[in-house]
Amino acid sequence: MRQPGAYSGLLAGGISGKTGPHSLPLARIKKIMKNSNDEVKMISGEAPIVFSKACELFIEELTKRAWMMTLQAKRRTLHREDVASAVMNIDIFDFLVNLVSENSGKSEDPQPVTEA
Amino acid sequence: MELGGNGGFHGYRRLPQNSSAGTKAPEISMELPPQMNQTTNTNSVTDDTECTVREQDRFMPIANVIRIMRKILPPHAKISDDAKETIQECVSEFIGFITSEANDRCQREQRKTITAEDVLWAMSKLGFDDYIEPLTLYLHRYREYDGGERGSLAGEPLVKRAVDPGTYGFMTFPPVPFPMAPHHGFFGAPPMNGFLKDPSNAGPSQAAVAGIDPSPHCKEQV
Repeated sequence: MRQPGAYSGLLAGGISGKTGPHSLPLARIKKIMKNSNDEVKMISGEAPIVFSKACELFIEELTKRAWMMTLQAKRRTLHREDVASAVMNIDIFDFLVNLVSENSGKSEDPQPVTEA
Repeated sequence: MELGGNGGFHGYRRLPQNSSAGTKAPEISMELPPQMNQTTNTNSVTDDTECTVREQDRFMPIANVIRIMRKILPPHAKISDDAKETIQECVSEFIGFITSEANDRCQREQRKTITAEDVLWAMSKLGFDDYIEPLTLYLHRYREYDGGERGSLAGEPLVKRAVDPGTYGFMTFPPVPFPMAPHHGFFGAPPMNGFLKDPSNAGPSQAAVAGIDPSPHCKEQV
């Protein structure tokens, strides 16, 4: 009997239908794109697909950076503050600054270290 | 495992009542079975007339986010619930950020539809240059195989889809270079297999991309 899980998504239809075990749901991406901006009208079918991969890369990068902060603090549990520190350290994550400092109440201390 | 102690029941989040960053309901961080990720959890937990977008529609499913995080982290690492939620929120912010830029470009060029190229362009403009190469490759693969090989499932669903990482050494992210591999056409496609096994096509991404048959609209815009 075929094992469910790893490959079940593969057989159930292509990109346009379900997502595979490693992809992010395209319909949700589309919703988020539309909600972000009232002016967004139409979205091509491929745009969410690009985002699905891009978000994966983004999560990986942010997680990696945050984990480095965790290690610096000699902890093994990744906390929100580690994510916040990573955001402060990296220029391209500037758009997240408000988001991560919203609830933490920490004083923002932008580090001079910049990462290209 | 970093469950909130209630592993097993499907997740939903109470709609935000105060901050826009989301609530901190403790039962959020559970792992959904993979098949559930696609469906939106329609158990509404609206406590009142919350006419705004449902919480679960504002974010990527947390199980997916957690899975991707765990790929990166060492096995012994733990993730706090607030970190998971924070990353989840950051992803949505990322999507919105890029989409707005892409949308601006569309409007300037008087187009109504945001295309994949617009998204790639916006990412490059906003500093995510490192993503462009793997994304462009991903998109080309998708266009080739989803456009061409649509059809009956070829007989070997379990043909290894994990490409030899050495073939695509330039990729910086963990294996499974083609997560779109779920497409059934992927596995039986002889051209694809031939491509992968052909070492001469491995190497620089430009050469690899050129090795595929680029459709006219597949030009890279950076």
